Amino acid sequence: MAEPLSPSSSALRRAHVYRWDLDKTYLRTDFDTLKALVRTAFEGAERKQAVPGAAALLRELRAGGARICFVSGSPRQMRRVLTKKLRLDGVEFDEFILKPNLRNMLTGRFRAMREQVGYKLPALLSGRAGVPESFHESCFGDDAEADGFIYSLYADLIAGRVDRPLLQKILAGAGVYPDAVARTLALADAIPRAEAVNRIFIHLDRLSPTARFDRYGPRLVPIFNYFQAALVLYEDGDLTAHSVVRVVFEMIERFDYKLDALRNSLQDLLRRGRLSRETPRKLGIEIEKERVPQLGTLPDAREILAQFASRVTELGETPAYSRPSNQPVDYLAAMEVDLPRKGRTRKDIAP
Amino acid sequence: MTPPISKRSAVIAIDAMGGDHGAEEVVRGAAALSLEPTYVQTVLVGDGDVISKILSGVRHNPERISLHHASQAVRMDESPAQALETKPDASILVAARLVKEGSADALVSAGNTGASVLACAKLWNKIPGIRRAALAAVYPTETRRGEKDDPFSLILDVGATLDVTAEDLAGFAIMGSAYAQLVSKNRRPRVALLSNGAEAGKGPPEIVAAHRLLTEATDLNFVGNIEGVDIPRGTADVVVCSGFVGNVVLKMLEGVHGTIMRLASYAYKERLIWRAGLMMLSGGLNRLKQITDWEEYGGAPVLGFDKLFIKAHGRSGARAITNAAKVAAKVVDADLAKQIEEAVRRFDARRAA
Repeated sequence: MAEPLSPSSSALRRAHVYRWDLDKTYLRTDFDTLKALVRTAFEGAERKQAVPGAAALLRELRAGGARICFVSGSPRQMRRVLTKKLRLDGVEFDEFILKPNLRNMLTGRFRAMREQVGYKLPALLSGRAGVPESFHESCFGDDAEADGFIYSLYADLIAGRVDRPLLQKILAGAGVYPDAVARTLALADAIPRAEAVNRIFIHLDRLSPTARFDRYGPRLVPIFNYFQAALVLYEDGDLTAHSVVRVVFEMIERFDYKLDALRNSLQDLLRRGRLSRETPRKLGIEIEKERVPQLGTLPDAREILAQFASRVTELGETPAYSRPSNQPVDYLAAMEVDLPRKGRTRKDIAP
Repeated sequence: MTPPISKRSAVIAIDAMGGDHGAEEVVRGAAALSLEPTYVQTVLVGDGDVISKILSGVRHNPERISLHHASQAVRMDESPAQALETKPDASILVAARLVKEGSADALVSAGNTGASVLACAKLWNKIPGIRRAALAAVYPTETRRGEKDDPFSLILDVGATLDVTAEDLAGFAIMGSAYAQLVSKNRRPRVALLSNGAEAGKGPPEIVAAHRLLTEATDLNFVGNIEGVDIPRGTADVVVCSGFVGNVVLKMLEGVHGTIMRLASYAYKERLIWRAGLMMLSGGLNRLKQITDWEEYGGAPVLGFDKLFIKAHGRSGARAITNAAKVAAKVVDADLAKQIEEAVRRFDARRAA
């Protein structure tokens, strides 16, 4: 395996926390069948595969001093292999939280082994309590479970848009155990209110329809690859042009991506209204002005830019398909869709 | 997530606005194709807003799909020549132009047949040695053919060229045979002329002359003349005729199919014992339906141009569009135009000798 490329020296936001899920967000994990689950549990760090561009993006974000925090549903017993994998990829982190699944099993809390709200929400709130109030956050998850729901709830909770009774209803509906409910409520009560979460990225590992996430508003951006995330972060001012190029470089050099796939990805963001048409142009100017060096076998920056520009032109003058509206999220309705219920109605689940 | 791209793949331009079902089924077909392991890229040509809305609601891999906006579309009932004249930004014209310019390798459309063929004729060149293009159709037969056990035979021309010469018919035979070799994986497709008798001297002068040409000057597996009754029997894998005859035959075969379905429906309603009989046969009938499901084939080619156009049926659903684009990609990979050109050159050399 090739050595990871050193990150560029200029990341933009130091007072920023990036919260990442691991499986299907950072790692290409297959636990859709029992066989795949067993293989995932026992494979070594060297065999684990990162999602193309994820490691480069994390290195770039970390380079400027931002905090990187992982909150994963993987069992705590996998800490050694997972942290080794991150080390191999050159990814540094500040927090690494795994799920106490063995304890859940031994104490008969079988529902908690699968359920995510009662585990991730307090973990996120607890992590938030440990950073200064002024810090902003971005969250990365995937479409395999309920990351979009949980991250949005977390963002609205610390922003003061979800009150205590609603949170209680949600936790009850999600089947969270009473002690976890109490802990979550206590953490939520204590947290200083702030519009802290700028972005939620959902990696569409299952290629879910993007419209599924419209209910969470424009803050949540479904992405098909990390080039798309890098472009949005660039537009948001959280990543430099150099860093975007390095993410592209990793995807091409180490994961065999072709420019066609990348320019189609750019066009996809534009037509979904998740990126302004001005952004690719601005990126092009910056790449030329700052003389971003040619990396490895990556085509000349001018060629890349010309290819990207053609996809933008092909969209014509039609307005991009409208972004989701900025309406408040209806979490009770969202629960019905995004939280798996396994053969029982929500009313049956006691708080 | 789908595997990354490791080589340049075929790029298929799809007219997203054509077909009886509008953009919905076409876009769904392209979306389904983007999820398949076979790596094919598609360019959806049509109203950007409409296409984007549909894509947002279906599983797809956008790394394999791009969108090319076209502000106009040709309706199914429009006069082809007039529509193309008055709609310079029609999706079918834009898609054909993308293929001409090399941004895409082949074209798929379920839209207005006349307008589609005319758009290709306006913008593309003919294969050297081919004078007239032919629109092909596939028809389910009793027998199967090729490595793929293909139940469909190819009939051409079914409407692109009404008046034909013997040379035109020989050209159709060469093109049909080359296409069948590729798509049905049939090494030696049986090629026949459609006539009113099996004897070499039967039929109008152009058929008689074409029979002589195909016997003497081609290396095709020419099995002589066949009659209409032989088409559903599958006596030939490639049936060659003029556009006028082909169109009449195709419509009649479709009409017979429709009548049988209506009679079956009548029988089902009329008597309990007939209904019971049909129910007992339903397993076999469903199997037959599966085998002869035209959506599985996707579409039929317009042959004779240096670029490929697969015409999907107007009623095509998403699956038919997916399969039409897959067929197009397969034909592009095999460079059909070059194979036809070489076959025509051999034909000309034999004639000269």
